[in-house]
Amino acid sequence: MEPWIASLEAGDPEAAWDRLLERYRRLIFAAIRHYTTDPDDVMDVFARVCEALRADDLGRLRRWASQSAHRARFSTWLVTVVRHLTIDWFRHCDGRPRLAAAAAGLPPTQRRIFEYVFMAGRSHVEAYELLRTRDGIDLPFGAFLHELSATYRAAAGATNHRGRLVVELGGAEPVHGPDPPDADSVMQAEQAVVLADALAALAPHERLAVQLFVIEEMPAAEVARAAGLPNPKAVYNRVYRALARMRARLERAGIKDGDL
Amino acid sequence: MTCPAPENLLLHALGVPGPRAHRAVADHVATCSACRAEVARLREAAVLLRAGAARSGDATPDCLDEEAIAASVDGVLEGDARAVATTHLFSCARCRSAVASVARLARDPAVAAASETDRASARWGLRRPGLGVAVAAAAAVVLLLAWPGVIDRRSEPHRGPPGGGNGVPRPISPVGPVAGARALQWSAVPGADRYRVTLFDGQGRVLWETQSGDTTAALPDSATPSPRLPYFWKVAARVGVERWVGSELTEFTVVGVGSPP
Repeated sequence: MEPWIASLEAGDPEAAWDRLLERYRRLIFAAIRHYTTDPDDVMDVFARVCEALRADDLGRLRRWASQSAHRARFSTWLVTVVRHLTIDWFRHCDGRPRLAAAAAGLPPTQRRIFEYVFMAGRSHVEAYELLRTRDGIDLPFGAFLHELSATYRAAAGATNHRGRLVVELGGAEPVHGPDPPDADSVMQAEQAVVLADALAALAPHERLAVQLFVIEEMPAAEVARAAGLPNPKAVYNRVYRALARMRARLERAGIKDGDL
Repeated sequence: MTCPAPENLLLHALGVPGPRAHRAVADHVATCSACRAEVARLREAAVLLRAGAARSGDATPDCLDEEAIAASVDGVLEGDARAVATTHLFSCARCRSAVASVARLARDPAVAAASETDRASARWGLRRPGLGVAVAAAAAVVLLLAWPGVIDRRSEPHRGPPGGGNGVPRPISPVGPVAGARALQWSAVPGADRYRVTLFDGQGRVLWETQSGDTTAALPDSATPSPRLPYFWKVAARVGVERWVGSELTEFTVVGVGSPP
């Protein structure tokens, strides 16, 4: 039994808290520093994490301790909690003005993209539509993708040590490869929507594999663990097959390869 | 000329280092029009998929709790719990993003190392000498920053940024390990007409607070630091109407004459 749980069950929450910090302080700090190494941010988020864990007389920890069987390792659960609180702190709490300050130095279009994608959690297509309809910035979708990529790079730099945080808030970057497609050969946002419909038509396990591997960019081994597949090769096979089916569906909808 | 396996074309298209030599795939694709077209189609599909991907929505009652997300990352869900989680992940971008995010976090070398150390400690019941002081220090900082009851921030409505510049008071002594501490001393701030100093114990409790027009304050007997325990103090300078600029929190420990720092 974890020492902090023993103290909690002995009716000594203060001792439980001390023991928890003694054992997991390094892990909590490491998880926070994954997102930011700015000393002020680290200490502020650490304070927020401790405040949240101590709230309601260690309510979160009590709920964990009260379960007879656990599905996850405590350390994984703890970093899950820390991640949630860190992202929340930056997006909704005291860290939000710091993100806004980081965006202030960007060119106008990139600043709006930053606000939509990183601060408001909009998808890339939603951000594109908002730029056109709300801000009157009429960009071809390909040019938007260029601006989006530039925003990711600029934001990671502008936020100093918070590059991972920017990716966390904005999701996966546009695909980069050794010979990227000519973005100006027009990939319209509507086609992305059709493709999303094609994704929804896949078998559930294929869809999840595509979502985690292609969209969330998880390594195949981790996708296999999360989706309950036997190994990374099973992930590759499902994703490849799924993309082939999606292309076929798109072609049936009248969108040929050249259109993409 | 043998074309690469589809999985290798997929990895190449997405720019993911694969299990086979990436360079060989790239070289092949450069000379094979069929594979080049296939890679282009895969990559374009990925671009559009990511562009159209929902990022996050509001949490719903069906959303995975933190333990289910952690268990998905650990790959330890079984039976009904697995089915419920997987079914939810199909349709919830918020939870998928959380699973991917925690997986990235768990893969961070520093996090993995700390997690391993924690597990080793748990297995063998290790206790590191001197850790208690560090923990107390961390707890103190947490308390100082987190609980308004410990530091009433309402009394500092226009608190300026901390730092060591001319406009901010800088703790001079005691700082770090010291032979003794009978007074607190700090640097003057131009234009400041008053200073407020606060002393905290290792648990973040306020032991003593006073205000002074000088840059030093003698500690009363009731706040005499005990040897080998961590203490913290800070000083704020009043530079305008209800405008205070504060120092960083400073730690010190009385180690006694002749004791190692």
